[in-house]
Amino acid sequence: MSTLNPIPPRIVNLHELRQSCADCALSQLCLPASIGGTDLERLDAVVRQHMPLDRGETLFREGSMHPSLFVVRSGSLKTFVSLPEGDTQILGFHIAGELVGLDGLAGNRHQCTAEALERSSLCEVPFALLSDVAAKVPGLQRQLFRVMSREFGREQLHPVMMGRKQAMSRLAIFLRSLSERLAGIGHDPHELTLSMSRQELANFLGLVIETVSRLFSRLQAQGVLLVDRRRVRILDPAALAVLAEKADDSER
Amino acid sequence: MLATSPSPLVIDSLPQFDAELVARYDITGPRYTSYPTAPQFHPGFGEQQLRAMAYASNEDPIPRPLSIYVHVPFCFSPCFYCGCTRIITRDRTRADTYIARLVDEIGMTAPLFDPDRQVVQLHLGGGTPNFLDAGQASALMNALGQAFALSPDADREFGIEIDPRHADAESIRLLARLGFNRLSVGIQDFDEDVQRAVNRVQSVEETRIVIDAAREYGFRSVSVDLIHGLPRQTPERFAKTLAEVIALAPDRIATYSYAHLPERFRAQQRIRAEEIPDSAMRLALLGQSVEILCAAGYRYIGMDHFALPGDDLAVAQRHGGLHRNFQGYSTHAECDLIGLGVSAIGHLGRSFHQNARELPAYYSALAAGQLPVQRGLMLDDEDVIRGDAIQRLMCDGHLDIAAFEQRHNVDFARSFAAEISRLRQLRQDGLVELTPQAIDVTARGRFLLRVIAMCFDAYLAPSADTSRFSRTV
Repeated sequence: MSTLNPIPPRIVNLHELRQSCADCALSQLCLPASIGGTDLERLDAVVRQHMPLDRGETLFREGSMHPSLFVVRSGSLKTFVSLPEGDTQILGFHIAGELVGLDGLAGNRHQCTAEALERSSLCEVPFALLSDVAAKVPGLQRQLFRVMSREFGREQLHPVMMGRKQAMSRLAIFLRSLSERLAGIGHDPHELTLSMSRQELANFLGLVIETVSRLFSRLQAQGVLLVDRRRVRILDPAALAVLAEKADDSER
Repeated sequence: MLATSPSPLVIDSLPQFDAELVARYDITGPRYTSYPTAPQFHPGFGEQQLRAMAYASNEDPIPRPLSIYVHVPFCFSPCFYCGCTRIITRDRTRADTYIARLVDEIGMTAPLFDPDRQVVQLHLGGGTPNFLDAGQASALMNALGQAFALSPDADREFGIEIDPRHADAESIRLLARLGFNRLSVGIQDFDEDVQRAVNRVQSVEETRIVIDAAREYGFRSVSVDLIHGLPRQTPERFAKTLAEVIALAPDRIATYSYAHLPERFRAQQRIRAEEIPDSAMRLALLGQSVEILCAAGYRYIGMDHFALPGDDLAVAQRHGGLHRNFQGYSTHAECDLIGLGVSAIGHLGRSFHQNARELPAYYSALAAGQLPVQRGLMLDDEDVIRGDAIQRLMCDGHLDIAAFEQRHNVDFARSFAAEISRLRQLRQDGLVELTPQAIDVTARGRFLLRVIAMCFDAYLAPSADTSRFSRTV
């Protein structure tokens, strides 16, 4: 792209992010509003810039020791566990501003594997150091609880989604959730770029790949979505909401 | 891709053939069946890249449907004008080995694609695809049918190129039974004197048998290929050929321009240069074809292609659903193209690739258990953006600038200042209309689509060697 001029992005470019927490565009997601001065320096001392990951690279593996908490600064990751039959089950997808590694909070090991879906950058906070600094920085502990609670709330969506018998409801719930999360970090909530493959989506939604494609095609035919390769534009958010909220028995 | 709409101006008006203007732009240029064009392919793109692109092509929420091209390189005798990869032999058993290797290639290629991806387009090209006998053709189609999910829909495009000199009603019936629904019939010229000069003597009658059989056995579309600029052609003689072709009532007619490049295509050395029509004559031939075919009710689609108004191509063009690929124009959008056989070209996502162009290299790769890809190209953002501009102009004769900016997130005026200034020169000659909202090809410009498209080709530096491409008209 040497000679073509892109239109300047309307939102903050997450790839160009911070040198420190003070000027991080995601700080309002991580930090208490009141934080400043020496508290920020204390925090900066424990927050590490993790090496950027390329697509397919692993952040941590199931069972790995000395767990850390990670904040996705740009890109996206999937977390998954291995099943006894050799398959995997995807637990979640994590976009910018979201936490990865909360599964390591309880013990001293990670309980799932995290892998980058695209080139991604992350902040790393070892749990051991986090509790120290949280004790010293007023408001940080409460903020951490808030952030964690938000993550747990999001993870609860998965069983709700999987409880739906209708494949269309599952997909609609997923797309709506992703849209809301994008809105939360200042992105256009109706312009989704799916970093996960069709296979990964199918795994997460408990569907076969053919069904995933058939549902996207149907939503496109109904004018709810416009699908161009990985780019999905939500044309009719209200219709998507109806599909997401529709109870199973009302489908017939 | 977002929907695009063709310019009503272009589609509804008759193309205007201005010989003086066309003569002025009679320069060499690519045909843009791809952008970037094949000379940009390089050996750094090999099997590993091809596999990665194939796997990635499965990952979209709605993966593209598949299109398959199979190259059959054999011909019974050499047509002297031909620039295709082909092998001249009368020994039909040579195709047995070839089909066996093709089946190997199919067996290695099909597993790269998710099994639910349907093949909506299939094209057998050559060479002479009907060099294959009934058993060989059946073996090939069985292998494809077992390895891939061939679309059962009536609107699938399963086409085959036919040399009528080696086909009869029975062989066409077999092809219909094997699933083909489009026939592309080679004619070039019905004039016997011209036919002798190019070593392809073929009667109207044997051509009619094939076309009638296609109708009888339910082929959806019959197209014929003509060539203007062949030795000994004159407007009078070619007018007679056109009348005979129109009487056969094909759905589509392609009138290619002969490109005399004897240093590149050895067969062409047997054409006597002094018998080739000069520039003025070639233009007269083209102008006459446009006039006669349009008067007979054919619509000019673009480049070398004409179609009856009810044909899928003409209908698709009216609705902005026309696309350009290695087989010319098509109504199927955005397929991933799998190329099988010697010299075949494939197009997966943002990449192009080509198989080995010589049989020994093709065979030895497969014998070693490797895919026979020999070279290719990964497209960058700029290639994709420029390719889209070229595609829109070649297919719709219209480029909506706001839609283009939205599709690609580029500022058109700033990104393409040099291209716009080149287009301004073409505007002075009345080839295009330029507004801040759109680029429109005029009725006069429709015969110079390549010249217009060349404005967006980043690989055509002023010093670039364009002699590898054929002339623009």
